[in-house]
Amino acid sequence: MTGDATGLTPNALATAALSVDDVTGPRGAPVLRHVSLSVPRGGSHVVLGPMHSGKSTLLRLVLGLERAVSGRVTIDGSTFDAARVAEDQLRHLRRRVGVVFDSSALVSRLTLLENAMLPLAEHTAVDAERAREMAAGLLHDVGVVGDLERMPDELTRLDRRRAALARALVLEPAVLLVDEPGNGLDPHAAAELDETLRALHERYHCGILICSQEVRYAFHWPSAVSVLANGRIVEHGSLDDLLNSRHEAVRRFVDRRGAA
Amino acid sequence: MRQASVTPDVDDASADDSLPEFAPLGGRFITRGRLVLRSAYWLASLLAPQPPDRPTPVTASVTRELDVLGFGAIRLVATSALLVGLITIFQAAYQLAPYGAEVVSARALAWFVAREIGPIVVAILVVARSAAAIAGEFASMAANGEIDALRVMGLDPVKYLVVPKLAALLIALPTLTAIAIMLAVIGGWLGMSVVLGYNTGLFLEYLHESLAARDVGVGLAKSVLFASIIGIVAADEGLRVERRVSAIGAAATRSVVYCLLGVLGADTAVNAFVYFIPGLT
Repeated sequence: MTGDATGLTPNALATAALSVDDVTGPRGAPVLRHVSLSVPRGGSHVVLGPMHSGKSTLLRLVLGLERAVSGRVTIDGSTFDAARVAEDQLRHLRRRVGVVFDSSALVSRLTLLENAMLPLAEHTAVDAERAREMAAGLLHDVGVVGDLERMPDELTRLDRRRAALARALVLEPAVLLVDEPGNGLDPHAAAELDETLRALHERYHCGILICSQEVRYAFHWPSAVSVLANGRIVEHGSLDDLLNSRHEAVRRFVDRRGAA
Repeated sequence: MRQASVTPDVDDASADDSLPEFAPLGGRFITRGRLVLRSAYWLASLLAPQPPDRPTPVTASVTRELDVLGFGAIRLVATSALLVGLITIFQAAYQLAPYGAEVVSARALAWFVAREIGPIVVAILVVARSAAAIAGEFASMAANGEIDALRVMGLDPVKYLVVPKLAALLIALPTLTAIAIMLAVIGGWLGMSVVLGYNTGLFLEYLHESLAARDVGVGLAKSVLFASIIGIVAADEGLRVERRVSAIGAAATRSVVYCLLGVLGADTAVNAFVYFIPGLT
């Protein structure tokens, strides 16, 4: 890769769905140091790293849920200072981002359908009937079947993850952030979710950033892969670069897959 | 593939935001003050006329919370109120017996139950039953990332989580208090007529003489205040926890402690205030 710290030229930055530029944070007890990466519009980027390497923290800093010590984040062409961004600006920018948390994080006091239509109810002028139709359609697209008035704790983990995906996509975001998509799922369910993710990515053409400790996501999304270790991105490039890397942390990931 | 360059670590000392020891207490007042304002804003917007075709997940949540916080507490409140009525009449009768004035117990019962025992017993029962549950649920939501998920979607957790519970408590507590007053009076009547052997007509006469609408009004007004305190304190204790599972139990315990102190403190303040207002005593 060539270019500045993000690996992108200014022109490419403007066309990125998401770029993270030299971010260190969070404030108080920094976990990440000088992290830079980018997700092209309609493209993908996989961040691999072991547990506690800072993958979830990276997403929290990108989303402004925690303040950084320094660095900048660009979402769909709008740049903010990750250390000093105002909540109002974040509220506006977050509408262009869809997020699937590792725990799914459906609102447990709302039904499946209400969860999926929540962003529509708050951020659009669509009427109740249309919002229900759109949310139900999206839930169907992600593979959730059955009664949509169930509460989240009545769903399987796979269905919770699918519903979280539907909620994340309902406003057609510029970039989708997915934290540990296979977390807590058996191999069969994880494979099903992978299929769904790929199908939706093709359909919605949004950028997608996947953070995982499972190397198979690099094989599913091979164009851009970064490896995070001890709070730093130690290598980044394509899947081929990853496979040919001599960095110890990268070798551990590749070898683990070989052993599997 | 290029290896990322290693650069010196940042100086963490500059990011140290240690606070003086009294900050947690001050922080509590500040966060609760903010929560009161935000809840009042969203409650007002909930009460404002809405276009009939707008999606309303909050209204649906209020109904569900009312079922849990209100209807779910009826058996506990009803049974307790009946027993409290009996206890009150026995205690009053026991104190008045040396003066041959046991029958006057009915006067004390009506006045005391409507103004004091009804609202305070219901509030304490609701704290015991629901305050820990509310705080624990919010703390669990925070640990599970649900609060963050709402913030990321640009949604105010106060609107979607706190307001439905607060609205349900504001409806449930006065209703439960009215039920408690009625059942405590019935309990008192059972004590007077069945156990102590006094005439029912005499009991009703004393009741009618001593119980004024303003007594019930004061009791119900107190219950609205207590509902606000329970809703805000329990929600704040749940929402302010760190994102870790071990914090859930501590939040639930703190919630019960602060809710009880808040309810008793508010009751004391209201009683002191009412004492100095002619026409209310």
